[in-house]
Amino acid sequence: MALYDKLKHDVRFWLLRRLPNCQQTVATISQSMERSLKLRERVQLKLHLWICAWCQWYLEHLLMIRETARARSSELPELETAPSLSDEARERIKRKLTDTN
Amino acid sequence: MSEAQGKSPNKPDAGVWLDQHGDYLFKYAVFRLRDATAAEDAVQETFLAALKAYTKFEGRGSERTWLVGILKHKIIDHFRHASREVTVGEEPDEFHDHREFFERTDEWQGHWNNNHAPTDWQATPADLLERDDFWKVFSDCVSPLPQRTASAFTLREIDGHSSEEICEMLNITVNNLWVMLHRARLHLRNCLEINWFKYRQ
Repeated sequence: MALYDKLKHDVRFWLLRRLPNCQQTVATISQSMERSLKLRERVQLKLHLWICAWCQWYLEHLLMIRETARARSSELPELETAPSLSDEARERIKRKLTDTN
Repeated sequence: MSEAQGKSPNKPDAGVWLDQHGDYLFKYAVFRLRDATAAEDAVQETFLAALKAYTKFEGRGSERTWLVGILKHKIIDHFRHASREVTVGEEPDEFHDHREFFERTDEWQGHWNNNHAPTDWQATPADLLERDDFWKVFSDCVSPLPQRTASAFTLREIDGHSSEEICEMLNITVNNLWVMLHRARLHLRNCLEINWFKYRQ
């Protein structure tokens, strides 16, 4: 078991030294949300994510931010708790509309 | 005026209209603009435009969907104007690539350092959807971004517009847009982690 762990550790570090680092990888992660990656980029990203939990979280968080923001935007206008038009603004707009009408 | 009214006897009562749709439109707008005054203006302009064009609408589909459609354009106009006001040199450069996230003194320079490395958020979208306090933090985290970067982020991540559409709206190149989105994501993820996910645990 100890040998297996040592081997895993060595493979991981060997890869980490050869692959794009985290700073370069987060840029690729962002690109992957905008266009389809080239084969080389895709393979490097896959391998990096395989050995780097931090960048795995990073990707997961970005996708979650996108998904949650879109869900919130479609649900929000129906939510009672969200801030609504102030009375003052409502009156102002009403006056403006009646004047124009 | 009276002639116009004669032509369309079904013109809506402004007060009733506002009561029916005002809050809905305001919430829609303020989520994107993050500013109550700007959102009120957008709502007002939407109703004014809708009144003018009401004869074109009559009966086709839902009134609310039609109003939201107009509001979307007003919001994009707002972003476009705000974007035009920023000249290239003015865009603050403080939102660089957050190099400090990847600064290390050991051999792993360029990899996440321990102070900024992402952690397990232990949350799902469903947990956050109706947490108004989370969305307050979210909005406060988007706001310090440069104006145009914040607009690009909103149009992309909230409204799901394509790169081409956003480039046309904000008059920027696609490489420009991708750099902005990358910076916005780095900043926002970190800001949410510090101000919500860590603090809450």
